[in-house]
Amino acid sequence: MPLTARGREMLGSLPGVAPKTATDGIGCEIVRHEELCIGCGRCVKVCPSAAIAESALFDPLQLYDAPAGTTRGALASALRRIARHEPDGSFEVPDRVRTFRTIEFDRDRCLGCGACTRACPTGAVTARPVDGTGPGWLAATESFASAVPA
Amino acid sequence: MPSVPVALVPGTVAPVPEGADGSDPDDGERTIIAFFCRECAYAAADATGNARIPLPTTVRSVLVPCTGRVSPLHVLSALAEGADGVFVAGCLEGQCHYREGNLSALDRIAFVQRLLESVGVEPERVQMFTMSANDSPRFVAATRRMHATISGLPRLSRR
Repeated sequence: MPLTARGREMLGSLPGVAPKTATDGIGCEIVRHEELCIGCGRCVKVCPSAAIAESALFDPLQLYDAPAGTTRGALASALRRIARHEPDGSFEVPDRVRTFRTIEFDRDRCLGCGACTRACPTGAVTARPVDGTGPGWLAATESFASAVPA
Repeated sequence: MPSVPVALVPGTVAPVPEGADGSDPDDGERTIIAFFCRECAYAAADATGNARIPLPTTVRSVLVPCTGRVSPLHVLSALAEGADGVFVAGCLEGQCHYREGNLSALDRIAFVQRLLESVGVEPERVQMFTMSANDSPRFVAATRRMHATISGLPRLSRR
């Protein structure tokens, strides 16, 4: 997501940060655990930067990774019992089947706001502070707040 | 108290086939699990039973409040636990008592068919039919058609 001129100016005043996009050094890193995802699309609805999209396709191999004890895990074990071979590729999901969709995540458009983390019903999306290169979410917020003129 | 469909009348139910695993795959009678909507298909089954119209004994009926309740897991579990085919019978399109349960069921069955196809299982083992509550002939035709389809296929092998 491109920054406004004002935003670029404000971020540029931060010490040691040379931002190119809004994601640099501000947000959390979003980690998706695909094996827990049920494809409900709630994260798609809440994403403010349209970084998450719902595909009309479903790859049955995704089921096979689901943990036992979940509905998807039960579905996978039933499917395994009758399967003649491994699933061969994705297929299109009918309109009214609202779950069982592959979620596509575009990391470059992600702001790291964590809205998807709160919306996820299964805990398949987690957020963690950016470490290493970035100053981390809290540090970035604090330094950003102190750099903003009163 | 409603009377039971003819598939559940004593004497018309075939014993559960034994040796579903390991025995000759073409041997023995098939088992078909049928999910009937309480509002229409079950009433049609009821009327068929009252009229003493003979039905294939391979069909075991399960009553559901609406076909919209039938999830892919119900269908796949039935197949994994011994059924050779599953069919869902619900209301005519636009006549669901819960507005659109039967439409959801139609799409879910289509989803399960594609899922089965992707793992090499014949998609026609799972089908959906729609009928009205007083349409006993249509119910009989659906049941017999499903019986004929499943009888033409080998027994479903399981691991």
